[in-house]
Amino acid sequence: MQSLKNHLSFIVPLFILLFSIQFSTMLNRAVANYESKLAGDYTIIAITQKPFPKEIQKVVPQIGKIEEIPKERYIKQLQKDISKTDLVYLKASLPRFYSIKLKSFPSREELQQLTQKLKKIPGVQKVETYKRTFNKLQQFLHLAKTASLIFTIFISLIAILLIIKQMEIWTLQHSQRMYIMGLFGAPYWMKSASLYKSVVIDAVIASFLVGFTFLIIPNSANFTSIYRDLGIDLRNFHFFTDVGRLLLISLVISVISVTIIILKNKQR
Amino acid sequence: MSKIIQASNLQLAYKKNEPIIKNTNFAVEAKDFVFLTGKSGSGKSTFLKSLYGELPVSSGKLNVCGFDLESINLKKLNLLRKHIGVIFQDYKLINEWTVEKNVMLPLMIAGYSKKVCQMQAQKLLKHVKLSHKVEKYPLELSGGEQQRVAMARALAHNPVLIIADEPTGNLDDYSSEVIWNLLKSVRQHIGSTIIVATHRIPQTLGIDYKQYFLDEGNIYAVS
Repeated sequence: MQSLKNHLSFIVPLFILLFSIQFSTMLNRAVANYESKLAGDYTIIAITQKPFPKEIQKVVPQIGKIEEIPKERYIKQLQKDISKTDLVYLKASLPRFYSIKLKSFPSREELQQLTQKLKKIPGVQKVETYKRTFNKLQQFLHLAKTASLIFTIFISLIAILLIIKQMEIWTLQHSQRMYIMGLFGAPYWMKSASLYKSVVIDAVIASFLVGFTFLIIPNSANFTSIYRDLGIDLRNFHFFTDVGRLLLISLVISVISVTIIILKNKQR
Repeated sequence: MSKIIQASNLQLAYKKNEPIIKNTNFAVEAKDFVFLTGKSGSGKSTFLKSLYGELPVSSGKLNVCGFDLESINLKKLNLLRKHIGVIFQDYKLINEWTVEKNVMLPLMIAGYSKKVCQMQAQKLLKHVKLSHKVEKYPLELSGGEQQRVAMARALAHNPVLIIADEPTGNLDDYSSEVIWNLLKSVRQHIGSTIIVATHRIPQTLGIDYKQYFLDEGNIYAVS
């Protein structure tokens, strides 16, 4: 019973810590996924007197795809109202319209730089970025990212405090055993082996618990309908790589914790 | 005969300039059975602590089982401790381990297989009349039983030197008798050197022994 309590006292804060890290990772992935989706939908319109040079993507590398909007599309609508001569004249004097799609969803600064670069190209008269809609989206995504970061930091702090508390309990529990073992000539590794073994087991359990939690929760019916409505893909959990990463993090934290305790005991 | 303990001008202290043992010369030969007597606070436990390196030597020389304790490092100290069996006044059992595992401790440290450790532990627990308590935990035992477990642990690895600090101090007659009989048997069959700090030497021991008396930081031979 005591042993189970000891394991749980370490597994619970470790689980909280790993959960918050994984939650933040998945939220960032969802935001990145949403941003790339937005980048596909987001279009900038550039109006120019001269055609864009072919090597435009070298000058502005953020451009993913550039297409000229054919003049015929809007001249056709005027055919009934304007004479043929005027139509020829209009076609010759009309500027060129380009639809520009970007490789990724830009930040506010990146968009500003991009606009300036485009405006510097000879012949460019106007660059329309639909700033208002863009800014709203940008702010929303920025808020989501910041909220996720604050949440992770806050939860991690609580978890670390709980781990430190548990370490203090361990120091008391294990110091007597390690002292007695030392009196019989036990080497360092033997005195600390049981402690290392115990935290490695706890780290594995906590990592897999978080893994299974993230495997189950995002696939539950309640959640799927919510993120489908929002157009967010939360099913971006890669069991083996993510659990592997969590296991590595939890092992590092656990081994550091135990080493601190052992070094503390060594000094006594 | 070779000397298993040799102290020359030995000084031991917990605080600087307040020595408990003062410039003492003392020697114990292999296979000796030695009693260290003296009033409470005379320094018996302090002296024993220095023999297994728990208390560092303040000045002078102390050689135990061929190891110079005044200049010993941790690696060598661990090696020395593998040759010594200690019976503590307060037992020093590991409460979260079973009786059997406690007895197995010196054998595990010596690197024996689990099976060998278990066999030896069970044999010793039979000697101290505790074979029925193998799976119990120390806190489930009486003081006398705990001391007998500590005794079995101290003897498990057939040590060259056995150090016992008031081994029967708080025990009933039955447990005291078991302990003295076992110490006599170990000396006879294994040939260990035994050094015991005690207030009272048992009347019916029936073996040759040496007695030293500790007073005001000095050790005097009594017989």
